[in-house]
Amino acid sequence: MSMMAVAEQTETETVAEKKSPGKALWLLAPGVIWMTLFLVLPILMMVYVSFWTQTTFTIEPTLTLKSWITFFTSDTYLGALWTTVRIWLIVLVATVLVGYPAALFVGLFVKNKALQTVLLVLCVIPFWTSFLIRVLAWRPMLGKEGAINMILMNLGITDAPIEVLLFSELSVIIGMTQIYCVFMVGPIAFMLGRIDTSIIEAAQDLGAGFWRIFRTIILPLSMPGVVVGAIFVSVMVLGEFATSAALSGRKVNLLGNIIVTQVGSLKWAFAAVAGVVLTILMGAVVAALLRVVDLRKEL
Amino acid sequence: MNASGMKLSLGAYTALFLVFLYGPLVVLAILSFQTGPEGGPQFPIIEWSTYWYKHLFGLTPPSRIAPLPIEQALVRSLGLAVMTMIVSTVLGVTAAQAFRRKFRGSGVVFYLIVLGMMVPGVLVGLGMALVANTLGIDRHWWSTAFVLHVVYTFPFAFLVMLAIFNRFDPSMEEASWSLGVTPARTFRKVTFPLIFPGVLSAMLFAFTLSYDEFSRTLFASGRDLTLPLAIYGTFSVEVHPNVFAFGVLTTLFSFALLGTYAALMMLSVRRAKRIAIQEEA
Repeated sequence: MSMMAVAEQTETETVAEKKSPGKALWLLAPGVIWMTLFLVLPILMMVYVSFWTQTTFTIEPTLTLKSWITFFTSDTYLGALWTTVRIWLIVLVATVLVGYPAALFVGLFVKNKALQTVLLVLCVIPFWTSFLIRVLAWRPMLGKEGAINMILMNLGITDAPIEVLLFSELSVIIGMTQIYCVFMVGPIAFMLGRIDTSIIEAAQDLGAGFWRIFRTIILPLSMPGVVVGAIFVSVMVLGEFATSAALSGRKVNLLGNIIVTQVGSLKWAFAAVAGVVLTILMGAVVAALLRVVDLRKEL
Repeated sequence: MNASGMKLSLGAYTALFLVFLYGPLVVLAILSFQTGPEGGPQFPIIEWSTYWYKHLFGLTPPSRIAPLPIEQALVRSLGLAVMTMIVSTVLGVTAAQAFRRKFRGSGVVFYLIVLGMMVPGVLVGLGMALVANTLGIDRHWWSTAFVLHVVYTFPFAFLVMLAIFNRFDPSMEEASWSLGVTPARTFRKVTFPLIFPGVLSAMLFAFTLSYDEFSRTLFASGRDLTLPLAIYGTFSVEVHPNVFAFGVLTTLFSFALLGTYAALMMLSVRRAKRIAIQEEA
């Protein structure tokens, strides 16, 4: 039966292909041209311009390595590169630690499908508030007279407001963790939801405790979700500049912030170098994550 | 620890997690009702008032706090979102339609399209600014920023339509063709009504993503501000509760949009059901 259906399908496909071989091309052309002109070309342009000569306010298409040498010998730029890597790693670990238990509850412990959907929708609703507003919302939370300091002082936990909460690296990490942890919760909960519960029941019947079940069954089976979440979070955090602009009081300079400043002062070649470095960093991170788990096999 | 104890503690954790997600937004919403113009963006609430909402619309006497430049920005943001929505939905539907048949190089094309949603805005934005600078083109929200918005939202529309076409029964179209109906008319009368819920979702994605898009716009839009750029402008200065009031209003606007989407979706499902019943009778 299914063999016949397959045979039939291939037959209609070949007939259709014979009828209009160029039709797919016409349908694809607009999208492909758009992406080539406005996505591939700008990225190539960025690589090209990074080798141009920078004068005070303009760039000249004379090829040179000067901007690259400036980048890798300047403390400011190397510092920004290191800050970017450090914040990315901390936020990545923080989103896994904060998100995993919630995903475990939603994906595995909630058996009721309706409640599961409600919980996932609750995680997504904040996305209907503008990204910049969500970032800005941390200012009245973390400030010296902010909500958290007020609560801590009223409870008698601290006597004086904790000043390090806002306009520091910590505030950037807290803000990014809150904004991006949902991208971790979603894929992990999805993978956990696909676990066949009879495996866990069998392990329980054989006398395994929760931690053993978690280590040997739940964690390995959820790894593809963690990797997908990590790819989402990494790409977004590495390309960030708004959160540090809003919450660090100019104390935290990511590569993204460097690019914004350089473009603002018309230092196009330096901005391009920072952009290429960021692209390479991002490509390396995504490639490394894809090596951890073979997604095509797992999904 | 037994399973029910574990479930209880994880449930409590998830509740805390939701407080973490919503806490800042709730605080922001409460503080938007601070009294003005002397009340600052912090507790305690001196007096409850809607001063900052009036301030947003220019209904308060002038004070030292400059109003947000939202009037023009709102028009631009809405125009940009509508343009982006139309173009990326059309591109998404046509590209997904092409993907219904296997063809050589489909893998490369797939990754080329999906790349648009993966590459961070700061990189494409910078690249587009460099291209415009080299070619001597002025950057505007309706030109350079617009094409980048489509680069960002077209992949979403494409993926939504791909999912819809995967569950699509081609025998309906084949029946129509075999009855001698032209392909164009078949698309309008048979295919389009069937994929309409998907088109609606693609439109919603494109509109909301473009309306909120910020990093691409920052690099590619030149002098004129869109709404997110107007908010970004407040980052470098002291924040007043008028930004909070604005945040509450845009969130309400997004919910209204979502409500419209849900209503249209329900209507189209109901219409499909009615047609099915008519056919049975």
